[in-house]
Amino acid sequence: MTTLGKGLELNKHATFRKLKADSILYLMIAPTIIYFLIFRVWPIANMRLAFYTFRSKGPWEFVGFKYFKQLFGSPAFYSILRNTLIISFMKYILMFPLIVLFAILLNEMRSHSLRRSVQVISYLPHFLSWVVIAGIWLSFLSPSNGAVNQILGLFGMEPVDFMTSKKAIRWVLFFCELWRSIGWDSIIYFAAIIGIDAELYEAADIDGAGRLNIIRYIILPALFIPMVTVFILNLGFFLNAGFDQVLNFANDSVLSTIDILDTYIYRLGLVNGQYSLATALGLIKGVVGVFLVLGTHVVSKKYTGVGVW
Amino acid sequence: MKPKKNILAQVIISTVMILIILTMIIPILNIFAKSFSDPALSPSMSGLRIIPVGFDLINYQIIFSHPVLIPSIFNSLLITIAGTCLNIFMTTSAAYVLVRPNLIGKKAIMVFLICMMLFDPGFVPEYLVVKDLGLMNSRWSVILVTAVNVFYLVIMMRFFGEVPNEMHEAATIDGAGHFRIFWQIYMPLAKSGIATLTMYYAVSRWNEYFRSGIYLLDSKKTTLQVILRQFVVMNSTETIVRAQDLLDYNEFAKIDVNALKAATIVVAIVPIIIFYPIILRYIKGGVMTGAVKG
Repeated sequence: MTTLGKGLELNKHATFRKLKADSILYLMIAPTIIYFLIFRVWPIANMRLAFYTFRSKGPWEFVGFKYFKQLFGSPAFYSILRNTLIISFMKYILMFPLIVLFAILLNEMRSHSLRRSVQVISYLPHFLSWVVIAGIWLSFLSPSNGAVNQILGLFGMEPVDFMTSKKAIRWVLFFCELWRSIGWDSIIYFAAIIGIDAELYEAADIDGAGRLNIIRYIILPALFIPMVTVFILNLGFFLNAGFDQVLNFANDSVLSTIDILDTYIYRLGLVNGQYSLATALGLIKGVVGVFLVLGTHVVSKKYTGVGVW
Repeated sequence: MKPKKNILAQVIISTVMILIILTMIIPILNIFAKSFSDPALSPSMSGLRIIPVGFDLINYQIIFSHPVLIPSIFNSLLITIAGTCLNIFMTTSAAYVLVRPNLIGKKAIMVFLICMMLFDPGFVPEYLVVKDLGLMNSRWSVILVTAVNVFYLVIMMRFFGEVPNEMHEAATIDGAGHFRIFWQIYMPLAKSGIATLTMYYAVSRWNEYFRSGIYLLDSKKTTLQVILRQFVVMNSTETIVRAQDLLDYNEFAKIDVNALKAATIVVAIVPIIIFYPIILRYIKGGVMTGAVKG
């Protein structure tokens, strides 16, 4: 007993001494911890507002699931959920192979100067703000003399006002997102391709494999891990669907086809002041989002052995 | 037979890639061209044109004569610079701590940070915190609210992780404390990592429009992107064109609202274009140089 007690005592001392010696380290990370406590944990605590009615003075009034019932009872909720899922599907699933294809084509380019120009230009849109992009696209798609309608005109087609067309607007979002991300998002795949061992190519050459076979048997397998990782992260974003883009591309004629959860939350909460309703929807979205990431991660880890961490 | 097929494939691939980058570069150059064009000619200018029709600086004269533009640029710069400094200060010091081996509580801190990254509380709960802190209408709101990005923190940890531990031990034996080791060994050795993160943080600071629009209601404190959004996206001409100018210039047909929008967009893009070569240098150094291979 005495030896054990002594050991514990020693251990405690050692721990204490280590903590003391490292105190400066805790001081260095303290600002970050305090930041998250104030700007993340406190807002998370504020999310209890979903179950209360907001009062600017005095305590909030507890109302239970009133706001959740109100949400699920409104038809707007379902059409917005539908829009969110459709737009996410287009952006995260439909676009996914195009970005991989871009990386593969980039790697197939033999002219190095041309390849570099493609890289330099295709990464640029990623660094522009969504407001700037909206401004550029409004002019790009303008029905009077925007570039797209000018080209359609060459083929004898009537000008289309894409921005106010309910049929076209989701595809506008899709192509604009592609325009902004194809270069930047392909970097991860391109890096994986150039990381492929040169010996593999040499062996393939000796075997007389053509380019298509090289792509199929060497390049695509090398892209598997980054593809799964990106896919899991994309699923985690599935309820987002791109708030900044929709906010800047929406107008009254098309809002009903592209209104998504986040823009709805923003309007409910910060425009109309319905704090509780907005928070309730935010809470649902946040919880489902976490489960989507964790769920896909676990499933993927089980079947492919690849996860986010 | 085979080489011929390869040449054909190359031609097709190159054409496709060139078409893709043309869709990116033409709209941007068209905006530049329109902003420098003669406003009498620019309304009928083709969207495919990348050279100004005529040449006139009147669009810039008009927007810069509005009292809101220059202060908003100043605010954007202030928030970008102060905010990025804060981002780098917090991210590097936290990353240094988190790469120390055997730190008690390290795992708990990491789990905490990853939870913070995964769960987004949403607009209203954050808005209420900013309000309760009395930060409404203060530039501090925008600066503080995005002080650390966990994603970038993890990247910084990777850069610091490459600093050999022996250097740390040697410095400790020489009697250097954590603060000195951090400043004199880690910061200089991870220079390229810090430069990369500075670029990422600065770009997102400069491009930020949403929180500035909500938290900085006073027109003296507003930022360039907010002005741009009001003018270009929400079509409120008076945010940037003085009523007097609208009257005076309209008489001489010297106003093309779309060209004015183009000029405002150019003002917001120019800093990005200026820094773009530096940004490129730090984008995944390996990706760009590795492109020589293959």
